[in-house]
Amino acid sequence: MELSDANLQTLTEYLKKTLDPDPAIRRPAEKFLESVEGSQNYPLLLLTLLEKSQENVIKVCASVTFKNYIKRNWRIVEDEPNKICESDRIAIKANIVPLMLSSPEQIQKQLSDAISIIGREDFPQKWPDLLTEMVNRFQSGDFHVINGVLRTAHSLFKRYRHEFKSNELWTEIKLVLDAFALPLTNLFKATIELCSTHANDASALKVLFSSLILIAKLFYSLNFQDLPEFFEDNMETWMTNFHSLLTLDNKLLQTDDEEEAGLLELLKSQICDNAALYAQKYDEEFQPYLPRFVTAIWNLLVTTGQEVKYDLLVSNAIQFLASVCERPHYKHLFEDQNTLTSICEKVVVPNMEFRAADEEAFEDNSEEYIRRDLEGSDIDTRRRAACDLVRGLCKFFEGPVTGIFSGYVNSMLQEYAKNPSVNWKHKDAAIYLVTSLASKAQTQKHGITQANELVNLTEFFVNHIQPDLKSATVNEFPVLKADGIKYIMIFRNQVPKEQLLVSIPLLINHLQAESIVVHTYAAHALERLFTMRGTNNATLITAAEMAPFVEVLLTNLFKALTLPGSSENEYIMKAIMRSFSLLQESIIPYIPSVITQLTQKLLAVSKNPSKPHFNHYMFESICLSIRITCKANPEAVGSFEEALFLVFTEILQNDVQEFIPYVFQVMSLLLEMHKNEIPSSYMALFPHLLQPVLWERTGNIPPLVRLLQAYLERGASTIASAAADKIPGLLGVFQKLIASKANDHQGFYLLNSIIEHMPPESVDQYRKQIFILLFQRLQNSKTTKFIKSFLVFINLYCVRYGALALQEIFDSIQPKMFGMVLEKIIIPEIQKVSGQVEKKICAVGITKILTECPPMMDTEYTKLWIPLLQALIGLFELPEDDTIPDEEHFIDIEDTPGYQTAFSQLAFAGKKEHDPVGQMVNNPQIHLAQSLHKLSTACPGRVLSMLSTSLNAEALQYLQGYLQAASVSLL
Amino acid sequence: SLRRQRVEVSIELRKAKKDEQILKRRNISIHVKEENPSLGQDRAYEVSPSLEEIVEAVNGDDAELQLLATQATRRLLSRHKDPPINQIIELGIIPRMVEFLGRADNTALQFEAAWALTNIASGTSVHTRAVVEGGAIPAFISLLSSPHMHISEQSVWALGNIAGDGPLYRDALIARDVIPPLLALVSPATPVGFLRNITWTLSNLCRNKNPCPPLDAVKKILPVLIFLVHHEDKEVVSDSCWAVSYLTDSSNDRIQIVVDTGILPRLVELMGSPDVNVVTPALRAVGNVVTGTDEQTQEAIDAGVLTVLPRLLRHTKPVIQKEAAWTLSNIAAGPCQQIQQIITCGLLPPLVELLSKGDFKAQKEAVWVVANFMTGGTVDQVVELVRSGVLKPLLNLLLAKDSKTILTILETISKLFLAAEKLGETEKLCLLVEELDGLEKIEGLQNHENDMVYRAALDIIEKYFSGEENTDLEPQTGQDGLYDFSVEKQDFNF
Repeated sequence: MELSDANLQTLTEYLKKTLDPDPAIRRPAEKFLESVEGSQNYPLLLLTLLEKSQENVIKVCASVTFKNYIKRNWRIVEDEPNKICESDRIAIKANIVPLMLSSPEQIQKQLSDAISIIGREDFPQKWPDLLTEMVNRFQSGDFHVINGVLRTAHSLFKRYRHEFKSNELWTEIKLVLDAFALPLTNLFKATIELCSTHANDASALKVLFSSLILIAKLFYSLNFQDLPEFFEDNMETWMTNFHSLLTLDNKLLQTDDEEEAGLLELLKSQICDNAALYAQKYDEEFQPYLPRFVTAIWNLLVTTGQEVKYDLLVSNAIQFLASVCERPHYKHLFEDQNTLTSICEKVVVPNMEFRAADEEAFEDNSEEYIRRDLEGSDIDTRRRAACDLVRGLCKFFEGPVTGIFSGYVNSMLQEYAKNPSVNWKHKDAAIYLVTSLASKAQTQKHGITQANELVNLTEFFVNHIQPDLKSATVNEFPVLKADGIKYIMIFRNQVPKEQLLVSIPLLINHLQAESIVVHTYAAHALERLFTMRGTNNATLITAAEMAPFVEVLLTNLFKALTLPGSSENEYIMKAIMRSFSLLQESIIPYIPSVITQLTQKLLAVSKNPSKPHFNHYMFESICLSIRITCKANPEAVGSFEEALFLVFTEILQNDVQEFIPYVFQVMSLLLEMHKNEIPSSYMALFPHLLQPVLWERTGNIPPLVRLLQAYLERGASTIASAAADKIPGLLGVFQKLIASKANDHQGFYLLNSIIEHMPPESVDQYRKQIFILLFQRLQNSKTTKFIKSFLVFINLYCVRYGALALQEIFDSIQPKMFGMVLEKIIIPEIQKVSGQVEKKICAVGITKILTECPPMMDTEYTKLWIPLLQALIGLFELPEDDTIPDEEHFIDIEDTPGYQTAFSQLAFAGKKEHDPVGQMVNNPQIHLAQSLHKLSTACPGRVLSMLSTSLNAEALQYLQGYLQAASVSLL
Repeated sequence: SLRRQRVEVSIELRKAKKDEQILKRRNISIHVKEENPSLGQDRAYEVSPSLEEIVEAVNGDDAELQLLATQATRRLLSRHKDPPINQIIELGIIPRMVEFLGRADNTALQFEAAWALTNIASGTSVHTRAVVEGGAIPAFISLLSSPHMHISEQSVWALGNIAGDGPLYRDALIARDVIPPLLALVSPATPVGFLRNITWTLSNLCRNKNPCPPLDAVKKILPVLIFLVHHEDKEVVSDSCWAVSYLTDSSNDRIQIVVDTGILPRLVELMGSPDVNVVTPALRAVGNVVTGTDEQTQEAIDAGVLTVLPRLLRHTKPVIQKEAAWTLSNIAAGPCQQIQQIITCGLLPPLVELLSKGDFKAQKEAVWVVANFMTGGTVDQVVELVRSGVLKPLLNLLLAKDSKTILTILETISKLFLAAEKLGETEKLCLLVEELDGLEKIEGLQNHENDMVYRAALDIIEKYFSGEENTDLEPQTGQDGLYDFSVEKQDFNF
């Protein structure tokens, strides 16, 4: 491409077309540009256009196109062709800086980005004069140019903030410091002087402050990796000026905008960051300056208004103080009673106030308000920062700080008492203050776990919280109601049980409040109270204590779901679930109405599932209804199927992905409730469950495996007779699962059920294949999890088909295979098996191999007999795994739909552990003793002689114990 | 090996370290009584001679004028601010001054010349080179044996400055056999001031790498250093420790030579000294030793280093905290028996303390301690470390303003997860990490600008908080639309 007017004209046309809203015009133009961008001079044509085009829109378009071109092509990738010819590269580097500096701001930004992309590749070696070229412009006195240079420098240097220390990087930084640090410092000083000369010129100040912000950012980048010698030597200049900028104010720089931070706020925020960087990394050198910054930042806080635009600055500034006051060697800065008082009074209290913006959020954006207030996603808020400061101060000054705030709390409460309807915000602040003062450590699970002992929480609760909640009008002072409920919630472990019991009807009553925040908090508080533990690990609040409130609780909870804004309120649904779980059979009378309301809800939300937590708790509640009812009356399962299947069918047909895993779980639960042969309605669905598309979604796998297991338990013979052609598909699912390290255990669950329940002849032809598949995984990518499952499976197989069958099938795959598996897998790895049932299966399986497998006695496998017995005794004598008590009520469900968004296991759809050898063998040690006895009777003397020559003494002692317990002896 | 040598980056952004020993020193003190009778007319020079007059006098034959001019030169070079070293060099009088060193008949002139040259050599490398190229090395070495103590002492000082310039001149001195006459000056009778000078010069002869000092020189110096580290004077002890620290900042065979002298128990004792000028070099020396082999590290442990480290980890000076943590990190890089000794000696509480509220430089090193510990420790030891409360401050440091530290922590957490997997406690660890606000931070790091940091964070999230991994056994889909159940048989050998 020549640098000709004709080409410029063509390019202009195409650039114009790329702005066309019509894709039929736009796309071909974009394609065309892409097709010519490899040509020589293309970038130079763009540069010419962005400089000289008559139309501004073409200039801008050319600059954006140029930047994107550089972004895509400048880097030279090894073994790939150089996409920009050398002469173009040289020309670009020669012209781009002056061009950038003389361009209007919009284009300057694009070119500045382009320079930093080029700089990332070429600077410093292949672009040695860039820095000098830039620094020389500082002399120009033209701040449009200077800001262009600064912006470019910022984009070149900001990577120093995140890259690793390396010789290459530090050589570059050193080079930059040598060329840049002094001119930057001079520019900094000059700019500050100009600020005072132009103190009355608003437009000049804006430009100058933009420069100062960029200079402060450059300071941050250049000082990030380590404290450079230059900046250590010039710390006085920088810090003195930063310090005075922090205290500077100028009416001309104040903005009218309440939301958006102005230049002054941005500059001060960056200075706080710079001070924080020095305080964190260069504490030793920064120490002399730190006290001044503490004072300045604290004054800044005292004088900064409540507007939202200051939020970032204020929270940055408070966080700075919070981080400093925790350090032992700065303790003295805060120690003085007057200082403490003044920080509490002027920094903490004002920033805890409930502001107009909070009030707005409380009413109009409740969800966001709740998230911030309840779940702690308030990291950048003023209240959170103030709260952190209180905690920081309490580290060294708990007594004095508590004293100061107690006075405050009292006076605020008095203000409130004088005229509640006007002064309610004072009480809000008082409650917030008490809360942040009292809480030392907190978790979502337990509320406050460590409290300030100097605060009498119960007294405050009785005198100031309960009266508000007892008021007859639930809709009065909603913010205070929410505060009160939250107080109960977070201090539930500190307030005595009697008080909690008094609160329960109050909370139930507040489920009716119109305010979303209030009824949500009420639901959440009830839910949290219901999960508290009392003695004996039972719930603190018992079903009996709740008896008088069952009806009103359920009524109010379901009614709350009809309040505006709460139709999919997860807190309410969770409270419903938790109430069911607590109340158990006392909900049965209400089930017909409950299940109707739940299915209606399910139908409604399945149109557009958007609240995963809500949905999860809804399904949990459905499961609980089923379990609680069918436990009392198994026949009721039919009525649930009747109520639910219609909705389920719709969900499956419409492929509502979010709900399908839940549907499978509920179906499993229902199917397992059946005592007899599998109903035909379920069988019709069976082939569909094997569809690969279902198994490709990870979230479906666990519930589908569970459902298939239920099919196998209830209907294995029906499958064998009526759906034999689906068996390969069923095994295909097993293969799919076993191929994945993440899902192989699910594959084993399925395989175990197949082996346990399917009639042997129906799977005969596939058995060898199954083992080959498993051996392949074992050989190529074994994991501990796989080995554990594998061991359980082969032993289960042994129990079901006999030890001889196991040996025969192994050796038919490959000679001596059985011995290899014994020696390399079973004997060394058997100790890894965990779980009572799993261990028992393995014990019975190995006992069979020892005592019912002739080749173990009369082939070369005999040498493995003693090691195998020894391994089995080891398995018995391992310390018992702590069995997990049945406390599913407490299972913390809130986190379940977090990371594994794909699968949400329903805790209340869980099934009882199944013990396939339970009926056959009660005590596996005694079983071993009896089996050995039988073997020794069959071949007298052999067992005893093997034992006495090779079994180690300890194991022998254990074995004798088993024999005694079984009252048998060996012959 | 996981052990990290002292220098990783040869380029420094920082000011030269304040805690290090001085390389060159100018003599500005009233070192020797000036009221030498022969210099009675000193006072006549109320006004100093001009530079021209100095050149003339020095190059002239009048011994008295030579002395006066040399003395004037020395004075100029001894003034507190901005000594005119360059100007004096430009006068071209250095060779003449070197000549004066040989004037055994005129000790006053010898002494003044030695002093002046000492101060010239105390400047930059260019300045030192001027002195050396003027032929000063052999002259000063022979003056070591001067019968006049103040002259031999001044020569010791000058040679110290020359040696301090770098390995080249250091080895030039050694090649000229500076060591035997220098060591001969050390005796129980040597005055303390003199002994300090000798010790300092010896330390410069041990100093600098690339290359390190010749082996036989080291072997000659070491026995004297052993004597000096037991001296009662703190400065002598400090500088001799510095010397040892240079000798150990080297390859393992050099470390071995030092270890073989049996000096370690004394160094460990000095690490507990109340004097920070002694603690600093003693700690550095021992810190260097534990960068060596497992056996060398064990010698340091046997000498008791682990019993003094807790105090140093809590030291008020950040540099000492940092150095102590670095030392500990290299011990933690050893076999699990040594890690066990770290536990037994009670190092975990001060480590956790340092990690949570130490100076940032020290925190970075403490992170390495944890990283190495997790890599080399047994599962039980790792459990012990976690029990000591290391996780909270470690996770808090994910907010550090240093990408490398963040990456090290992420890698350490990965290792911890591996240990947890072995114990079947993965889920518990996930919960713990979440409870300590770690998950929030790791998730945040998925947006980190540094590629490796972001990938390490992503890796943890994917591995332990979700994740899917496939093997090659995936089934095909058959004609009926269901999965095909089939597999090729291969030979098995477990």
